[in-house]
Amino acid sequence: MSQRKRSKGLGGSQFSTQMTDGEDDSIPTQVKRQSQDQVNQKVSELVQFLLVKDQKKIPIKRADILKNIIREYKNAYSEIVKRADRILQEVFGLQLVEMDTKRHIYILINNLPHAEGQHPYRAKEKEKNGLLLVILSFIFMKGNSVKDIFFPGALWEFLHLLRVYPGKEHSVFGDVKKLVTEEFVRQKYLEITPTPLTDPPEFKFQWGPRAEKETSKKDVLNFVAKMQGKDPTFWASQFSEAEASQANT
Amino acid sequence: MSHTGSSGGSSPDVGRRRRSRRPHAQEDTVEAEAAGERLRQLNIDEGDDREHNRMIRNQYRELISAVQQNRESILSSKSNRLTEALEEANRIFDEVRQAREAALDAQFLVIASNIGKEKANELHSEMSAFDSTAFAEDLLTFMGINRTEVEEDDDSEDVPGGFLPSHAWQKMGEEASKYLRRAPTFHYMMGSFKSEPPVRKQRIERQKKASRGKAERAMPAQLKEMEQSHLEATEKEVERILRILQTHFENDPNTSISFFDFVVDPNSFARTVENMFHVSFLVRDGLAEIKLDEDELPIIEPVKPREGEEESRAAARNQVVISLDQSQWKEIIETFQITEAMIPPLYQTEEELET
Repeated sequence: MSQRKRSKGLGGSQFSTQMTDGEDDSIPTQVKRQSQDQVNQKVSELVQFLLVKDQKKIPIKRADILKNIIREYKNAYSEIVKRADRILQEVFGLQLVEMDTKRHIYILINNLPHAEGQHPYRAKEKEKNGLLLVILSFIFMKGNSVKDIFFPGALWEFLHLLRVYPGKEHSVFGDVKKLVTEEFVRQKYLEITPTPLTDPPEFKFQWGPRAEKETSKKDVLNFVAKMQGKDPTFWASQFSEAEASQANT
Repeated sequence: MSHTGSSGGSSPDVGRRRRSRRPHAQEDTVEAEAAGERLRQLNIDEGDDREHNRMIRNQYRELISAVQQNRESILSSKSNRLTEALEEANRIFDEVRQAREAALDAQFLVIASNIGKEKANELHSEMSAFDSTAFAEDLLTFMGINRTEVEEDDDSEDVPGGFLPSHAWQKMGEEASKYLRRAPTFHYMMGSFKSEPPVRKQRIERQKKASRGKAERAMPAQLKEMEQSHLEATEKEVERILRILQTHFENDPNTSISFFDFVVDPNSFARTVENMFHVSFLVRDGLAEIKLDEDELPIIEPVKPREGEEESRAAARNQVVISLDQSQWKEIIETFQITEAMIPPLYQTEEELET
């Protein structure tokens, strides 16, 4: 019972739903209640685990979940995950999303509708959000991918216009090159793929799978439209692409 | 081109292919040799002018740099800037004498063709022209750029004057948050503990277990000894008290001994209680009797072994609980004027020895 020593967590007994044991008399009720309690405990632990893991915005692997939380309760994996997701949604307004169904990688996204007013992000996070959206908009409006030679390149040139110089230390973002090419890529917001057999080496900038989940082409187009004071339909092909993309989800 | 005779290979097809390749190869090598010869001639005659070559390389590098830096404007504008760049490259190429410079030309060509391809893409796809420069301007405006003042250190000539306020990106981020479904990160409000304790706990537990183990191992041996000695001590003490009682009674068989006189030790309350404890064993075992005399005060006398066992069993066995506290004990000492203990103590404490 060493697990009992750990705090019951945010889920705890308050939020876990009462599962009816059912009329299964073959398993003595004492044992069954004990394992049900353990499952409840696992759900709470998983909620905490996911919240902490999400701090760095690095996608969470199923293998890590199994190793650290689920352990011997592998059979109840899908139940535990489903219930953890429910708690995240109902208590925190977040959602557990499987970003990669083949490799079973999860991320947490915000479930609450876009609200006007204060958002509960830290200052650094907000600033990065700004830069990120700007980059994603650029990529989308340019036809979903920007091919470039790294230094300099279309994206870099664009950032220069915004006084963001990837070669220089930025007062807000610091090492911008590292932020864009390493952090955003690790977090799966951006995907940078090198084109083989090119010299100087060419790279393709695209939206990463997290960007696909956390925003949409329609949202991004609306953002661009708002910034430029135009109607989204001004960019006909981008608009139709955004509409099509929304229809698919 | 002449076909050589059949070479009698294993499969006729392969042989034919081999045959048809050979003439082409021969042609290529002839051409290559001619080109190499030309190049060698160039090198010998004019190629060694390093100053000239360096200049050519610089020109190429400038051209490449210019094209790359202005890539966006070349793409987006409807100007002929790309064509102009190509023509410039052609002009420079006329002066090229060595492979090194030619390589730079090739590099430029790659860049130019990439841009050309992109331009073609933009025409081909019905993507409505996205003017990124205008977009950037609009973003800056939103962030609250102050265009009246000019930056002091302005190394980049492309960027127009004006400077961004410090909260520019905060404002951008605030707006951006509306379009992103990013989960706010979870943090403890008061911070969290550092994870040191677990390690220490283990060590402490191990130590405790180790010491406990030893203690336990030692205990059984000791306990046995103690218990035995304890039992013996009690038995011995009881026997001793019995002997004292019998001695007193033998000396004076007709005088009954007051219970209190017998058990009370005026010098030690603790010993008094012990004496009562030991006397109770005697009574239990039927070796002594406590009765009430005419004054209703308890007296004690040893029991003579009766002839019939039945009679001893028949003797009324009453259970009595005697409680005594220190004030009562003192009262008894005063009342009965007990000056010394009838049951001499086995050992004397330091205090008593002093007094």
